[in-house]
Amino acid sequence: MTRRKFIPLAGAAMLGTYAGLKLQRPPKLPDGPPGNSAVSVQRARSYSDDLVSRMIEGIRQCGLDPRGKRVLLKPNLVEFDSATVINTDASVIAAAVEVFQKLGASEVRIGEGPGHRRDTLDLADDARYRSTIPKFESIFTDLNRDDVSAVRGFAGEPEFYFANTVLAADLIVSLAKMKTHHWAGATLSMKNFFGLVPGSVYGWPKNKLHYIGIPESVVALNRKFRNTFAIVDGIVGMEGNGPIQGTPKSVGVLVMGSDLVAVDATCCRIMGIDPEKVEYLRLAADLGHLHRERIEQRGETVASVRSNFALIDEYKDLRLA
Amino acid sequence: MGGLYLPSRLEFLRATQNSDGGWGYFPGKQSWFEPTTYAMLALQSKPDSDAALERAWKLVRSWQLPDGSSRPSGQVEGGTWVTAHAVTLACVRGVYDSNVRAGVDWLLHVVGQEHSLAMRTASYFHLLKTKLDVSHQGWPWRQGNASWIEPTVHTLVALKKVSGRYQSAELERRVREGEELILSRKCSDGGWNVGNPNVLNFDLPSYPESTGLALIGLQGRSSAELGGPLEVARRFRRETKSSLARVWLTIALRNFGDSVEPPPEEARTSNDVLLASLEALGHPDGNYALLHTGGRA
Repeated sequence: MTRRKFIPLAGAAMLGTYAGLKLQRPPKLPDGPPGNSAVSVQRARSYSDDLVSRMIEGIRQCGLDPRGKRVLLKPNLVEFDSATVINTDASVIAAAVEVFQKLGASEVRIGEGPGHRRDTLDLADDARYRSTIPKFESIFTDLNRDDVSAVRGFAGEPEFYFANTVLAADLIVSLAKMKTHHWAGATLSMKNFFGLVPGSVYGWPKNKLHYIGIPESVVALNRKFRNTFAIVDGIVGMEGNGPIQGTPKSVGVLVMGSDLVAVDATCCRIMGIDPEKVEYLRLAADLGHLHRERIEQRGETVASVRSNFALIDEYKDLRLA
Repeated sequence: MGGLYLPSRLEFLRATQNSDGGWGYFPGKQSWFEPTTYAMLALQSKPDSDAALERAWKLVRSWQLPDGSSRPSGQVEGGTWVTAHAVTLACVRGVYDSNVRAGVDWLLHVVGQEHSLAMRTASYFHLLKTKLDVSHQGWPWRQGNASWIEPTVHTLVALKKVSGRYQSAELERRVREGEELILSRKCSDGGWNVGNPNVLNFDLPSYPESTGLALIGLQGRSSAELGGPLEVARRFRRETKSSLARVWLTIALRNFGDSVEPPPEEARTSNDVLLASLEALGHPDGNYALLHTGGRA
């Protein structure tokens, strides 16, 4: 077959497969692990609210005890644009540092490995991390350039490398931003773990994860790291063309829990997104609770804080009925 | 070499070399190929550096694998983009042996996955979410992944530097292809980001760091092609407060013949080995010309 003939045929085959996939009824989702999961939704109308008290209340409602644990706070630090809200707000991170210290963690560190090859400390400066978070530089690790160790069996890879700071943590707290995402539909506590992967090994962006598959990688990371907690910054989120070029969306909430699937599903419902249509959450349905009836909502109800996020055309069909 | 700027950085590098001969990204950390490369380039031909350079060279040579590629550190299996650094360092040291040839052959063998037949077919039918010209062949961070600006730049520097010794039609073709790939990924604002100028019909902005790097890879292209980007780079350099961005832009602009003003004669304050190395490299008395390939160094 000549190449000229092959290309249209291959394209037609791909289109046929795509159309076939679209017509398939999605398989029934698993019920998830036994029991229910607690998710706390705390109102915080602005970053000058008493975030420490809100977080302590949410952590208490979810039954987390961080005493004696080495805690790694993983914010979402991506880019800086003063016109929008790309990153986890500095006030949320500063509050989380104080909270986990107060609750008896043996160590509290902040770690992030941004996906783009930028000047990480300069980004942190722009995002007010250095000015807002006490002793920021002494407790921050650039996970892209940390020492690494190999783990076996991650995402079917014979060996995969993670920053030693990540591997040494007893508890990883995903301090994510509530945002839409142009590849994944939404980026919340689970996808935030992309920043745990070292650029020194996998490059910037961590393109290896794209080839494993974005939803598959999100789930693999969350399958690997199970001692986790999520605090999602939904005080001001991002709608539209997230995760970088979207527009600010005030919601006024912090969403917390130990079951990151349940936390992300709750965030989606708050954003007016059907979590059962978000591919990474469907794939993660055996890891945690996606179904509404298996999530014990603490604090505010979803209905009382729901605020539909604008969705780009690509993701209009994710809208929650 | 008066003042504090360059001596303080070179002294920092001499003091922070690990016992295995390499440098970590930060003092006392695991040795990595990348900071070791730039520390070596910064110290090249500088006083009291020969023994340090020998030990470092021995280490990075030990990281070469049988297929010609190089590991990014002693802790990581498998060759990556740092193979380009291995070739560049060999050229700087005047080593052109079979190991270097194997590294060049490995680089010529590696192509970004977006150039695969499947991806070109998907592009033909407009099934990609990015507006990428996938007809050009660049280099990925790791084999089997897509091409990005930075690994393509490092490989272009290596291949251009080695081209005088290992001339081949394939090497020349890949250099042209790599340059075309970079040019095809210029952002609408005239600079470069990591390599995605448009996603889902939304233009993405350029970054100062990537713009400096892209220009280093494009040395030798005509001023008609690079006039606009050079102006963008000059503006970025004036405006950025990022130390990393400023130093990449400085190295790029010096290699294009700009008389960039020297930095204030201040001692180093950061403990970032990569940054200290690049700052030393970019100083007027530094070794920035080791990355000069405009006339095929």
